Amino acid sequence: MDYNKVRDQFEEDRIDELLEAIWMLREEGETRIADVRKRSEDPNLEQLLTIVESEHLILTDQGRFSFSPDGEKRAENVIRRHRLAERLLSEVFEIEEKQLEDHACELEHTHVLSEVVVDSICTFLGHPPTCPHGKAIPRGECCKRFSHDLKPLVAPLTELQIGGDARIVFISSKYHARLDRLSSLGIVPGSTLRLHQKQPTYLIKIGETELALDGELAKEIFVKKMQHG
Amino acid sequence: MHGHAAKDTKAGNKIAIVGNPNVGKSVIFGLLTGRYATVSNYPGTTVTLTTGSCKVDGEDLLVTDTPGVNTLIPMSEDEVVTRDILLNDEVKLVVQVADTKNLGRGLQISIQLAEMGLPFVLVLNMWDEAGNRGLDINAQKLAGTIGTMVIPAVGVERKGIKELRESLSVKRYSSLKITYGRIIEEGIKNLEELLPESQISGRSIALMLLAGDASLKPWLSKRITPSDINKIDNILLDVQNRFHEPLGYVINQARIKKAEKIVEGVMSRSQGKGTTITSKLGRWAMHPIWGIPVLLAVLFLMYEFVGVFGAQILVELLEDSLFGNYINPYMTLIAERLIPDQFFKDLFVGEYGIITMALTYSIALILPIVGTFFLAFGVLEDSGYLPRLAVMVHKIFKLMGLHGKAVLPMVLGLGCDTMATLTARVMETRKERVIVTLLLALGVPCSAQLGVILGMLGGVSASATLIWALIVILVIFIVGFLSSKILKGESSDFVFDIPPIRVPVLSNIVFKTLSRINWYLKEAVPLFIVGTLILFTLDKIGGLAVIERIANPVVVGFLGLPGKATEAFLIGFLRRDYGAAGLFSLAQQGLLNPNQVVVSLVTITLFVPCVANLLVMIKECGFRTALAIVAFIFPFAFLVGGVLNFGFNLFGIKL
Repeated sequence: MDYNKVRDQFEEDRIDELLEAIWMLREEGETRIADVRKRSEDPNLEQLLTIVESEHLILTDQGRFSFSPDGEKRAENVIRRHRLAERLLSEVFEIEEKQLEDHACELEHTHVLSEVVVDSICTFLGHPPTCPHGKAIPRGECCKRFSHDLKPLVAPLTELQIGGDARIVFISSKYHARLDRLSSLGIVPGSTLRLHQKQPTYLIKIGETELALDGELAKEIFVKKMQHG
Repeated sequence: MHGHAAKDTKAGNKIAIVGNPNVGKSVIFGLLTGRYATVSNYPGTTVTLTTGSCKVDGEDLLVTDTPGVNTLIPMSEDEVVTRDILLNDEVKLVVQVADTKNLGRGLQISIQLAEMGLPFVLVLNMWDEAGNRGLDINAQKLAGTIGTMVIPAVGVERKGIKELRESLSVKRYSSLKITYGRIIEEGIKNLEELLPESQISGRSIALMLLAGDASLKPWLSKRITPSDINKIDNILLDVQNRFHEPLGYVINQARIKKAEKIVEGVMSRSQGKGTTITSKLGRWAMHPIWGIPVLLAVLFLMYEFVGVFGAQILVELLEDSLFGNYINPYMTLIAERLIPDQFFKDLFVGEYGIITMALTYSIALILPIVGTFFLAFGVLEDSGYLPRLAVMVHKIFKLMGLHGKAVLPMVLGLGCDTMATLTARVMETRKERVIVTLLLALGVPCSAQLGVILGMLGGVSASATLIWALIVILVIFIVGFLSSKILKGESSDFVFDIPPIRVPVLSNIVFKTLSRINWYLKEAVPLFIVGTLILFTLDKIGGLAVIERIANPVVVGFLGLPGKATEAFLIGFLRRDYGAAGLFSLAQQGLLNPNQVVVSLVTITLFVPCVANLLVMIKECGFRTALAIVAFIFPFAFLVGGVLNFGFNLFGIKL
């Protein structure tokens, strides 16, 4: 094996980790280099910072950082991989939350999951908008196409058959008030429901509560079917 | 409704009953105070506060019944009422009523009460229903977990009320607490420093603000400086920016998780009693196919009871026998003896006399119809059929910019539009409330009017009845559809609790019907008398003839009716059912042909129901909106009548 290539790969991974950390800081509204220093666990951070700057992935100005277009793209990819991996692990393999992070970190790098595979996972999961912790998953090409070729594991409530039991995985709504209202009635990720009917309105049972809801709302509730028995 | 009573008692003795919708708060309220607040098996029945007093250990307590809420962050007007009483009033103790089988949802409110720092006792109502479903809750353990008193109860059987009374004198603060994670907790801390003093904890207000409660803004701006409000806005923005999902949703999720965890610890499941007939019936009533025969059967029974038994048999009994044979001749006789003056004699027993017209009409004609309708409505309400009806008609209502929930005001409107306009508050957005108010005022005939109309049409032909009904329904639909397009604002989502089907409790229905009849008569009879007096006066001073002449082009020319119909329309401005009664007597005198009957009835049906309705419209929607609705309705009513008359003539239709 080519020693140089392996070494490069390791460095690439470190760059990925750093970009990921910076992205997450930005999500929290922090853009200071000082915060990056606090957050990053890289043993040789200064060297790494020099590399990302010289490769024009990160721009710094007066102690604050920003992504270059290339850096933005690359960070977005890493985040997308990481968070989709978290969804995959928690939904499909039902891995416990504690171990989620470690496994997801392994899967976030380009050399592990190719773009095509990532898009397939995304489709399989029903193009989830957020990771299990509620953070946004950057959209990919597949989300725009929204292909149905692959039968998704997680699908809108409208696809569930009548009488089926399912667990709510996520609710994809752009209306804040809608999420609030649904959650006040117990319709939140993690709740399990049974679908009673689809016409004239949807009728579901959560716990001992029976709820009628409009089809438009049902479309936005994504569920994973549960096996009986 | 009785909020004024609250002012004249000393502070520190107030008890507020809160809880999710349809968990039986009003039943508990009634048992504590002996006062009746409308009880039904329909979420959102209580839309205003009802206050009553209750004596415990010689201490007078003031108990308030509040509209049900799923969270103390208000999403509709009735929910604001509940939050505000906790926010502004000095509440000694909160009685939280929860549905035992949906304990998790109740605990979400317990968590918020604990956050507010209010002492409360948790009543687990409908304990029996949970048991029937195989749910067993360890109340003692629950009390230990949440750190306050927990009382199992079955409200309708008065179980648990004694224990509740005894607990009212003890203030117990819950130990429930949630931490919402570093970012939110920091936000709470920063907000707390800026918030004014209030009855509830700063932490709870901070959480409401974070959850996006816009209804708090006016409250805040009255108490703190604009610059502090600015700071608050910045903190809120800053915290929200760190989350992808809305904060209200994040906070709710944390509460739900906590509540579920508590439930897991105290609840055990066993085999329930399985499906019962009532639960099967409940399912059929919403079924896309079986729901329709159920609906038709309900309509048929309603018609037989209200339309046949009430409007025909009882009316005949009262009007012809009681008033026609006894009261009116007897009263006329007395008047002949006692009142020498012809003028005053006419005032009481003449053509437009208070006894012969107003009282005969209101007692003999209206009372049986209104009474039977409210009785039937009470059964529908308490059985839990109405929410299922909401499911069945949701799609039709959706086309009118409304949703299934509007079924309650619309069906209640068939009883009394004024009462129904008040319940329009169950709709979440202003746009929906305005549409419901408009449609009620425009096209939904109240039971009094419906009785008169059906009586009149029954004498003509079935096709006349059909044409009248079709046109009114069509008008409601078209106006609803158009106003949903024209009016600005949003429609809310349809997510709706379906309560289980229950066998109605007779005493509750009787009580409810009596209080509704009481309200109806109190509101209607004075107007009948005023209307009669106006007609009487106009008749005596010759004003009727003048008005008839002025209205001639419209009434005679455009609508093709006899000039005397003006009288009916005139009185229809006061109460449209009374107007319809005027038309009825014209028809009985043989002055209207079948075409004219239909035209005049369509026109009067589309009038504003009554003056009381108008006042409620102003109160609920504001003066300008109410004025706009009225300015639209009256010309529109005549327009539809005129077009119908034109259509009859054009196609040579003779009914």
